Amino acid sequence: MNETPEKEMKHLDEMTCLLYAERQLDRARALEVSAHTQECDTCRTLLRALERESRLLTRAMLEEDEPLPSRLAQFHERARRAMHWIWGLTFGLAATGAYALYAKLIEPWQLELEKAGFGGSNLLNLLIFQGAFWKGWQSMITVLEVAALMTLGGLAVMFLRRRIRRGSALALVFAGLCAALAMPSPASATEFRKGTTIDIHKDEKITGDVYITGERTRVDGTVDGDVIVFGQTVEINGHVLGDVIAFAQTVRINGQVDGNVRSACNNITITGNVAKNVMIFGQTVTLDANGKVGGSTTTFGESVNLDGNIGRDVLTFSAVADLGGKIGGGVRAKGETLIIGSGAVIDGPIHFEGNKPADVSPSAKLASPIDFKQIEKHVTYRHSDYYVWQVIFAAAFILFGLVLFALMPNFSADAVKSAEQYGASAGLGVLVLFGLPIAAVIACFTVVGLFVGISTLMVWFGCLYFAQVIVGALVGQWIMGRTSELWPMVGRMAVGLILVRLCTTIPHVGSWVKFAAILWGIGAISLAVYRRFQPMMAPGAPPAPYTPPMPPNTTVGGTLPA
Amino acid sequence: MSAPGITEPAEAIARARAGDANAWGELYREYAPAIFRFCRRALPTREDAEDATMEIFMKLREKLGQYDTTRSFSAWLYKVAANHCWDILRRRKIRQDKETEDVETVPLEHPDPNQLDKLIEARTSEEVRKALDKLGGRARMALVMRYYSDMSYDEIADALGVRRAFVGVVLLRARHELRQALEGNTALAAGGA
Repeated sequence: MNETPEKEMKHLDEMTCLLYAERQLDRARALEVSAHTQECDTCRTLLRALERESRLLTRAMLEEDEPLPSRLAQFHERARRAMHWIWGLTFGLAATGAYALYAKLIEPWQLELEKAGFGGSNLLNLLIFQGAFWKGWQSMITVLEVAALMTLGGLAVMFLRRRIRRGSALALVFAGLCAALAMPSPASATEFRKGTTIDIHKDEKITGDVYITGERTRVDGTVDGDVIVFGQTVEINGHVLGDVIAFAQTVRINGQVDGNVRSACNNITITGNVAKNVMIFGQTVTLDANGKVGGSTTTFGESVNLDGNIGRDVLTFSAVADLGGKIGGGVRAKGETLIIGSGAVIDGPIHFEGNKPADVSPSAKLASPIDFKQIEKHVTYRHSDYYVWQVIFAAAFILFGLVLFALMPNFSADAVKSAEQYGASAGLGVLVLFGLPIAAVIACFTVVGLFVGISTLMVWFGCLYFAQVIVGALVGQWIMGRTSELWPMVGRMAVGLILVRLCTTIPHVGSWVKFAAILWGIGAISLAVYRRFQPMMAPGAPPAPYTPPMPPNTTVGGTLPA
Repeated sequence: MSAPGITEPAEAIARARAGDANAWGELYREYAPAIFRFCRRALPTREDAEDATMEIFMKLREKLGQYDTTRSFSAWLYKVAANHCWDILRRRKIRQDKETEDVETVPLEHPDPNQLDKLIEARTSEEVRKALDKLGGRARMALVMRYYSDMSYDEIADALGVRRAFVGVVLLRARHELRQALEGNTALAAGGA
């Protein structure tokens, strides 16, 4: 520092030097500072230091030390902003729809089933928590659990990520999920039997559940547990201390079942004794005059003949229901025809909803007259309820589509893209819409293919709805423009779906529109699936490197303005 | 404030103003990295910066009609970003650092120029960024506005809600804080030629 000539000189303060360096001083003051720094080494050094500090700050701030976060890399906020009101409306409607569905459908069903003798247990409890049908689908449980947990986890992350993004919180959530997945499943003593013909002989006793897949299954012995059977022909002649769950073409229960009988089959005949309840989905259901059901009977079938003894209520949904035995509870039936034979003794009330009044034998002994209600066949376009339900269904569709698009964004985008190939989609749609269920049903008749067949049918059924979502997304693209980003695509799907649903409500034409949408959409989905399985010929060219714009540099210091 | 040497996508801006969603996407892709970096420097955490970047662009979309096309788009964009970040900090009361508009309290003495020079020479950009993270909200905001986005004193005063004459004080105080953070040496920041 050159001190001698500066001893008498008053130094500039740092603020003045900074303002000078940043060109914020007025001209007169700037000239003074300039003159001073020409003579004063200390102030000149300070001025240079401040300028260097400015440059260091600018350089440090402008350096690209971290890449753009992935969630910012895809721009999707525009759709979110544009569709705010739609999402509000959709979720509002979905919530209303869920409540309406519960109030109008599920709750009455619960009451009906309870009345039918399922003693305090509701349908959900019966099917899932009591594990009746699920026992036959044990191999799917893990997959379903994982899928359900992943869906829940995905939704949680999707909605909470703005609030819970810190690593520790996310780690906690995923640790919880992993812990839930890692929980040991309850131990079971299930025995597996597989073959063309499975026989459990008369002197044979199996302790625990038995899981059977066989073309012909015959149980003559004793099973101290449940019998879960997939097959073509099932015959129970022995004693089953637990439940019988059967998926088969033909089922005969000639022996004693201490638990429940649940079955999805072509035809079933019960000539033996079932101590608890019977629930059957089948074409022909027969309870022989010698047959006995201790609890209630619930049937979904084309032809239902109940000539045996039923301890509690009967609930039946069938084209023709013929009641000829003793029924300890009431009857609730819905279908085309109800016949009450001469040997019928019904102790409870009878409600029948059908095309014509029940055909009742004069010899039948009924506790009360039949409460008959005529089925209304025509869709009542004039009733406001019809339109309310259409709105609810549209909201449910949008919600369904939202979940699918969020879970499978790439596949959904591929399917929408495939839908633009009208000819291929329509052609493939015809093939899959009609061919797949036929193939699945054929598979069901084979022992090995039963599980595959039923699963395929379930997927096919789901695709009928997904198809409409895809067509909705395409229609949305026509209106709002093409996009490849997820959320804008979801927005277009919502708008398009509303339009498609509106078209399906048009009297007489609507059903054809719906059919066409399903045909088209299911073809597009199939096309997308097909392409997924095609080998990639060559990898795509990498995108051109992107150089973000540099913000403007600050001007620091410099020469004094003249 | 302008963006010398940077060709602004005037066509995309015009199309975005007319409601073209694709043009809006182009603008986003063009400016999002810079705005994210701006937010990253101004706000305490990376998560805050991510959220703020998205919110700024959402706000920008709403305000695009107000943009004066005769002026620099990037300057306008940084102004919106600065206002947004400062709002965030203010809402969180980070603003309660020790600033005051009382100019008399600002040390006007020289720091040791040579020592300051050595300190600056010895520090890397990364060290400066780490030191910036330790600053109070207003100090960091002021430095980012001035040395990242080249905002004028008037614009900084407007964004921070202070008088123009006070901007220099804020910047100087911010530099002192930064030096303290860099060196941990209060004597240097307090000065004393």
